[in-house]
This record gives sequence, C-alpha cells and structure tokens, in this order.
Amino acid sequence: MADDSPNSLSSSYSPPLAQGRRAGVRGPGPRSALTSLFSSQVPAFVLPIATAFLFLLAWQGISVLGNISPTILPPPTMVLEQLTENFHLIMKHTYPTTVETMAAFGISIPLGIVLAGLLVYSTAAQQALYPNIIFFQLIPKIALAPLFIVWLGTGPSSRITFSVFICFFPILIATAAGLRAVETNMLRLCRSLRMSEWQVLIRIRFPTSPPYIFSGMKVSVTLAIIGIVVGEFIASQEGLGYLIQFASSRQQTDLALACIAVLCVVGLALYGLVVAAEKVVTALYDFR
Amino acid sequence: MQPEISCERVRKIYGQGASAFEAVHAATFSVEKGEFVSLLGPSGCGKSTLLMIIAGLESITDGRVLAGGTPVDEPRAEIGIVFQDATLLPWKTALQNIMFPIEMMHRSRAAHLDRATELLRLVGLHEAANRRPGQLSGGMKQRVSLCRALIADPAILLMDEPFSALDAITRDDMNIVLLALWERYRKTVLFVTHSIREAALLSDRILIMGGSPSTIIADIKVPFARPRHFTIGETAQFNELCTALRDEITKARTAQMHRDTEHG
Repeated sequence: MADDSPNSLSSSYSPPLAQGRRAGVRGPGPRSALTSLFSSQVPAFVLPIATAFLFLLAWQGISVLGNISPTILPPPTMVLEQLTENFHLIMKHTYPTTVETMAAFGISIPLGIVLAGLLVYSTAAQQALYPNIIFFQLIPKIALAPLFIVWLGTGPSSRITFSVFICFFPILIATAAGLRAVETNMLRLCRSLRMSEWQVLIRIRFPTSPPYIFSGMKVSVTLAIIGIVVGEFIASQEGLGYLIQFASSRQQTDLALACIAVLCVVGLALYGLVVAAEKVVTALYDFR
Repeated sequence: MQPEISCERVRKIYGQGASAFEAVHAATFSVEKGEFVSLLGPSGCGKSTLLMIIAGLESITDGRVLAGGTPVDEPRAEIGIVFQDATLLPWKTALQNIMFPIEMMHRSRAAHLDRATELLRLVGLHEAANRRPGQLSGGMKQRVSLCRALIADPAILLMDEPFSALDAITRDDMNIVLLALWERYRKTVLFVTHSIREAALLSDRILIMGGSPSTIIADIKVPFARPRHFTIGETAQFNELCTALRDEITKARTAQMHRDTEHG
C-alpha cells in the first residue's frame, strides 16, 4: 500500500547520480546573476508590474520632455486627472457597456455550449452546420456591425445581438473540441456498457469538456467587449464606446484614454470572473 | 461442455483495395469456462484487434466469434473489459467509478455495493474508496479499473495489455493482485500482453500470435499448479517455459519483419 501511493511513486527517492545531475541543472552555477535575482527571490507579479511602470514612466518623459501636444499624446498624469475629474461621467457610461457585455457573454455561453452539443450529437446537424460555421469564422464579422443597427435599431438589443454574433463562436468551437476529446478506450467502455449516444453526451462528453469550454470563454469574453464597444461607436448615446468617440471628435485625447483605461479594467474584471469560475469548476471536478 | 469463448477462422481486414491490411488471419481457438488464457505476441500482431472483436467492439471481416455459445455481434453486459489505460471518470470517486456500470445497466445499486466493497478490499484499496482518480497512482487507478470490470459479475473478462503502461515494480504488484482476484472469482479471462513472464505467471494456456499475415501460431499449456505464488518465477521450469515462448515469438517476429518490408 505504502509503496503504491502517488507521493512515494513520484519523488521520494532518487538515486545519487540523478540528484547530482539535477543539482547541475538547477544550481546556481551556470545561471547569470540577473536570472537568479528575478526568478527565485522576487514574487512572479513584480517583474511585469515593474515593466509596465517603466513603460508609463517613459511615456510621461517623452510627452513632457519631448514637448508633444497633449492632443497627440497626453502624459499618463493628465489621463489620471481626467479619470478623477470626470469620474462620474465615465462611470455613468461604464455601466451600460458592462451590463451589455455581460448580457452578450451570458447569452453566448449557453448558446455556444448547446449548439456544440447538437453538432457532436447529431451527425446530420454536424454535416449541415459545421462547414457553414467554419465559413462564418472566416467572415470579418466586424464589417457586419452597421447592418445590425439597420436590422435592430440603435438600442442595446442590436449591440448585444452583434456582440453575441461575434463572441459565441469561440465557445462553440472550443466546446465541440472538448466534447470530441474523449479517449477512444473511454468510448469503447461506454459502448461495452451499451450506453446510448445521448447518455455518452450527457454522462461523459459534457463532464469532460469544462477545461475546453473555459478556454473558449476566455477568448469570447474579450470579443464580447469588442462587440459592444464597436456597436457604441456606430450608433449610441451612451457607453464607453460612445464617450471615446465623443472625446476623440473634440480632440480630448486624455478623456478618450481615460475611458480606454476603464475599459481595460472592465475587461480584466470579466476575464478574472471567468478564471475564478474555472478554478471553482476545476476544484469540483478534479481535472488534472 | 461448450467453450466459453470460441473463435472460428476470425479474419480482420482494415481498409480496401491496394491499401487493405490484414490484421488478423483465420484465428481459431477456444477458451474453456474458468480458464485463464493469454494472447502473447509482439506489438502490432493484431492481438488487441482480436480482443476487441471478441468484445463486440470491432467488426469482423470473416469467421465467427461465439461467447457462451451465441455469436457476438455487439457489446454484451456479461463481458467485462480492462483497457491499457484505466479510463476512469476523473470527477467520480474510486467507488463511484466501480459502480458506474451498475448505474448504466440500471441494476440495483444496493445489491452491488457489498460486492464493490469486497472488490476494493481484495485489491487493497478499501481505504481509498472515496478518493478521486487524480489522487490515485497509476497502479491504484488500474486496480479500480479491474474492480469496475468485475462489478457486474461478468462471465468473461477481457484484458487489453492492462499493465503495460505501469512501471515494473507496480506491474509485479498488479500480477499478484490479479492472481488473487482470479483465485477468488475464477472468471474466464482472455489476457492480451507482450510480456512473456507475465503470460507465464498468470495463464493456464498461452496463445502466441504472429506470422505473416498474423494468426495464432502456437498454443502452449502452462503446467504450474494453482493457487500460484509469485515466487514460481524463480524456478528453473518457469525459465525454461519462458525460453520456449521467446523462441516462438522470435520466429513470429522474423515472419512479421518480412511482412512489414513487403508492405513498405
């Protein structure tokens, strides 16, 4: 029993030769001082944050010392100023953008998953739809945005529909891949137990696919924001896309950049939600 | 008494026309009830294909397979299968994985729970019943897979190189576990392997596969008494048997190399 546990199998004993070799690879010897400074003593998040800070510092320096017009490139401090001065205005426009993005994303998830299930379950559906879906993937879907305004008006529904239209594909494709990722022997086992295709779909394929679904969702959540903002660019009286458009037309580059900064935060937060959901599901289902 | 498994001139051809490949050619043999028979041969000799045909999971080109006296043309509940990989569901515990066939066959859960507990005890996993596959080692997972194949009390147990993905020490442990399980339940077992010693230790009879095209080229009786102990592997008689088996396989491999060069 003891010599069959996962821990003792993996690493408790290694012969001296292997240890020596390992020390040679991982030890301080052949590595440069810089590599060891950043990889071992400093937490992983410090380096990217320091790099970003240096980038902002360089930006500040170039726009101030280079005497560049704030219309072309306002320094980060000016953008920050806009952010605090117009905080309420920006937040007022952040709200619809966020809600509409979440609505579009929320519709895309079940839509993509159910359609993927249909594609994998029914050979007829697969033959009829899959080539068309691949074809649709090739269309530059952004180009269709103005048509959605024509079809559904300038309200939130046209933006949400357009956003769903561009962001459910990654979920569909990833889920379909996940549903098909079941190993041959697992499928043989199912057949030997005389399970129906439907049972295999529900009992085996879907529970196997969350890692795939989440990778699709991570791509999709970014596209959801793009869909909403593009919709706001075209025809809207609210939302960050509208405000960016408005600020740019009045050459208020600092306000536009402040809106973009907030968009980044919204995007990051939604992405974080997906990652958190993935962690919860992974813990529940024990995927490794 | 009729044999539990009977193969009559079983033939399997993959593909068509010029690219057609004959994986199994006219394999004829039978396995008696309660007999442990190994299919031994080098990789690619069609032994797994033959096993999958008997399981009803692979179509047959020509010939006939009978299990329990009736032709096999689809998978059956009374045939249990163990694959090379454990094929466990990662979101279910060891016990839930073992009970999965019962659930899918709509049999009484309560009636089989005692059997599941007994099986877990026999393979030495009673304390790991509520662990998930991610928390189990490769050997432990394959033990769970063994229990799952036996839970529905199948008449026949088909095993497709079940221990070949495990390290040598774990593999020896698994052989001991399998000897004990066979002593307890006396199932009709057809065991595919490419390990000569494993076949010699476990089997009542060894069928060697090979040749060009591949078929059963030798049927060798294993003389050791049961119950067997792992230490028979150290006897001279055991090593003589292994040498004889190795000679047969060498002949088969040479023939197969000729076939491979013919097919490019």
